[in-house]
Amino acid sequence: MAKQQTEVRELQEGSYVMIDDTPCKINAYSTAKPGKHGSAKARVEAEGVFDGKKRSLSQPVDAKIWVPIIERKNGQVVSVDGNDMQVMDLETYETITMRIPDDIDVSPDENIEYLEMEDQRKIV
Amino acid sequence: MFPGATDDGEATDTADRSTRDGANFVVVGAPLDATTTFQPGTRFGPRRIRSLAEPFDDYDSRTDQHFSTLSVADRGDVRAWNDVPEYLEYLASTLREAVWNDAVPLMLGGEHTVSLAGVRAVEPEVFVCLDAHLDLYDAYDGNPLSHAAVTRRILEDVDAVEEVVLLGARTGSETEWERAAADDVTVVPPEAVGEWSPGDRLADREVYLSVDIDAADPGYAPGTGTMEPFGLEPRELRDVVREVAPHAGGFDVVEVNDRDDGQTAALAAKLVREFVFSHADG
Repeated sequence: MAKQQTEVRELQEGSYVMIDDTPCKINAYSTAKPGKHGSAKARVEAEGVFDGKKRSLSQPVDAKIWVPIIERKNGQVVSVDGNDMQVMDLETYETITMRIPDDIDVSPDENIEYLEMEDQRKIV
Repeated sequence: MFPGATDDGEATDTADRSTRDGANFVVVGAPLDATTTFQPGTRFGPRRIRSLAEPFDDYDSRTDQHFSTLSVADRGDVRAWNDVPEYLEYLASTLREAVWNDAVPLMLGGEHTVSLAGVRAVEPEVFVCLDAHLDLYDAYDGNPLSHAAVTRRILEDVDAVEEVVLLGARTGSETEWERAAADDVTVVPPEAVGEWSPGDRLADREVYLSVDIDAADPGYAPGTGTMEPFGLEPRELRDVVREVAPHAGGFDVVEVNDRDDGQTAALAAKLVREFVFSHADG
């Protein structure tokens, strides 16, 4: 899986993090002061990028953590077939099949932006 | 650890999360003691409550349930520090995790200010509160996050909250009583609490229940920061908890300190258990 390591202290709202092996976008980040001999801890509240499920974690700020590498891409809708659409990546011209989200209307020739991580994609 | 709960200290590795995800109730200690105005000591509240819960029987004959089988996880205390806004943010985040996992947070205070974190996490429509004080100051000694202003903060800062029901309230400043006269606040004086019933008022609404232990008469609960005579009988507190618990998505008991022989913490611990039994039986 495309990911890189960082320290929990480097995370911030709006960036991505892996929680339960799932790429998530961070909605809230808060830190707790250390006890007299403890190390500061951070809490991260996040939402799965592709499944929308809320997750959180609590870790010392100097702990290592994985951050997913999610690409933001541009594509053009080639055709629509029921709940699926063919999308051409405007950089590589590769054509992929994507499920059309319930809340989005698309039509051929329309340009879309989407997030991609390995086989998972999501329109933004 | 709260007796009868499973040990579920805060995981520092996401791989440890599996046990916590399945709990029905999550106990969180919030030993904040930053704005107490008279006798301090709420920093010892969570520890005292857990300790005084030890002699209670696991079995509850009224509801025919065992506490230890109701899936209560104790994740320990969120250690308090002096930056109250920052602490509340962190605490709310901890409690929100329980809410996301479909568990009911049970918070052990700590001064009453911590209820703001509980309400932020649960986002109820109705805040039901047993308390001797109105806690409707806009700010106390210039501090809007004083424990004496917590009900006002909950009303004004948490968008989801539509109304507040204050049971057992018997004292407040003139401006607090003026605020209490507004439509979104209902004050039930101590004399009327015995007869009070929510009726349909809480049906199909999100509810948060907070017990400031000073709602009890100080003769029963002297281990609290600001004692106020002419208060409730312990059985009256218990009956309110039993009535409201089935509707409540979050619960706290606050303002317990260590300045007595354990009467106050024992009452608080018993109310936590009453809440759990009644909610589970709900």
